[in-house]
Amino acid sequence: MDLTPTTQQQQIVDAVRTLLERHGAAARAKALLATDGYDHDLDARLDEAGFTDIATGEETGPVEAALVTLEIAKAAGMSAYAAGELVAPKLLGANPKIPVALTRAPADFPIRLGRHAKLILIDAGEEAELLEVAAGDVEPVDTDQVGWPMGRLAPGALARAKGLGPGSGAILRRWWRLALALETVGTMQGALDLTVGYVKTREQFGRPIGEFQTLQHRLSELVVIVEGARWLALEAAFRDADPLNAATAAGRAAGAASLVARECHQMHGAIGLTREYPLHLWTTRLGPLAVELGGPSAHRREAARLRFSPEEIGVREAYWR
Amino acid sequence: MDFDWTADDIEYRAALRRFLRDALGPDWKGYKGLAPTEYKAAAGAFCRRMAERGYLTQSWPREYGGGDASAWRAAILSEEVGSPDGEPRGSQYMNVNWIGPAIMRFGTPEQKAYFLPKISAGDITFSQGFSEPDAGSDLASLRTRAVRDGDDYVVNGEKIWTSHTAIAEWLFLLVRTDPGEKRSKGISVLLTPMDTPGLTINKVAGFVGESAFSNPVFTDMRVPAANRLGPENGGWAVVRYALAFERIGVAHYRHAENQLNALARDANVRGLMDDPAVQAKLGEAWEAVEAARLLYFRVVDLRAHDSPPTADSNVARVAGTRAYQIVAEAADLVLAEHGLGGVGRSRFNLTAGITSGATEIQLDQIATRFLDLPRPAVGARD
Repeated sequence: MDLTPTTQQQQIVDAVRTLLERHGAAARAKALLATDGYDHDLDARLDEAGFTDIATGEETGPVEAALVTLEIAKAAGMSAYAAGELVAPKLLGANPKIPVALTRAPADFPIRLGRHAKLILIDAGEEAELLEVAAGDVEPVDTDQVGWPMGRLAPGALARAKGLGPGSGAILRRWWRLALALETVGTMQGALDLTVGYVKTREQFGRPIGEFQTLQHRLSELVVIVEGARWLALEAAFRDADPLNAATAAGRAAGAASLVARECHQMHGAIGLTREYPLHLWTTRLGPLAVELGGPSAHRREAARLRFSPEEIGVREAYWR
Repeated sequence: MDFDWTADDIEYRAALRRFLRDALGPDWKGYKGLAPTEYKAAAGAFCRRMAERGYLTQSWPREYGGGDASAWRAAILSEEVGSPDGEPRGSQYMNVNWIGPAIMRFGTPEQKAYFLPKISAGDITFSQGFSEPDAGSDLASLRTRAVRDGDDYVVNGEKIWTSHTAIAEWLFLLVRTDPGEKRSKGISVLLTPMDTPGLTINKVAGFVGESAFSNPVFTDMRVPAANRLGPENGGWAVVRYALAFERIGVAHYRHAENQLNALARDANVRGLMDDPAVQAKLGEAWEAVEAARLLYFRVVDLRAHDSPPTADSNVARVAGTRAYQIVAEAADLVLAEHGLGGVGRSRFNLTAGITSGATEIQLDQIATRFLDLPRPAVGARD
């Protein structure tokens, strides 16, 4: 047991942070919102820097890809990195290095990043399905208060998706849950960091509002939740998206997303509601993340089924003295 | 990052379980119903068996008779002795976890020679004299007064919420030695024998669990100055050092998990596992327990890497408390099936946020030390 990042892991984190900073990921994401655009340049840079094959590398794996995913989400990078790097390789053998979106059959609702996806992986229950997106397959969806470009499958498009074999549905779901947990945690962290910085400088009643205990305790509670969710997600990555670990991490993250968004807005006041101020970059992404793949209730029920089935309880019981 | 136990640690845990099963028996149900003297004898006998096997002070340095065990071994031991039925070491876990280390750090050669072998052998019981009627979370405002008179201190005042007074031989007592110095600067620690003349104990009936609180009162009680631990007026540093050990000394997440397992068994037996509300709540409680476990582990990891204490321990403590509380919510759903028969089975719900530092104090610490927010105009200042 050793929860301290290795030197290599720390180097990866430092490198991706530098890349995101130089790229101006958040500023670009803000500019792209006007056109519901996607940051293809960011994907290209991540690829050039070698971050698109680390989940399946010789000396690196899902933990390293998880650390990169957290950083991209924290920096508000507009990228489908998580799906491409952590989910697609488990079904397709490698990161396809084109934007990947994830959805569930019958896929009759808007898909996060669907507007720009070149591949769409579909949870159809027992099987996962793959749709190679052709012209006219996806209709853009207007997303005024949603921080992700969304798209909807055109009628008939789903019929062209091909099955990926028995059992592929379960593989998709557990890696999706892991990716979702990481993206949600990184996005919550970005919103929280901005808010902590804001309350240190914003003065009212003659002092920084961060001096008021009523805000301090609420921020501290958010720290407890986000820190816990981050470690759950990292452990799930370490365990190759084990179904219980992945569901646990996804439930914790998704269950906290609305609270984090609401509290960060509350502590910012009206300025947080403007287009000018960047808080919305993170908070308007949290809503869709929170409800994806069934939302907190679905993740939690899955975790409970896995952890507290009669067989599992029996096993654990014998394990105890 | 490596979330797996080493083969050595797995073997260590297995051996520890075998020891616990042998020492306590497979059906150990705690010390409930025992008179204080019987309880003391049973916990003492258990501690002596732990001592014989090197478990009791495994984490202490070798120069003090310990085993130099890693922080992870200490965490495994905390998990394994964490039983829904109680702490088999009784109050002696405090001796080992923080009183011993505080004496090693601040004690005189005579104090070390007297106390450390007794703690190592499981032959001594301490009570903790911290809180006062007007000094709870604001511990630094304590007023129990100690005045130097020759080779003694003369102590007047009182403590409250003191546990284990019926069985303890010693009191780890915080006193004010300099009334002119404000707050934390005038405090000292006196290691005080419980049979000292001038010390009387009033009982305070509690209703949660089996804890009986006490209200020790000191009337012209004379304590030799040689019993002072650490410098005069330097007691606050001793307390801070001691409490850094105390915060994650108990594997709260493991207690919560044990309760949750019991609830889930009930839910299965009663066919409630198909109820989506019960499922979702059990899943949510499991998340909270697991999150708390990893946050405790993070603190253990920092200690294993010899990092100085950080506010991560406050984060972990709050997560542990929240885990108990969500387990209690799950209990409300599951135990409703029992009607009133289930009441009282989630007793930690009421105590979790109060013991070893109220949640609000932990949140203060996270705000100022983890988030680096300015100290509030009103709130904890030390």
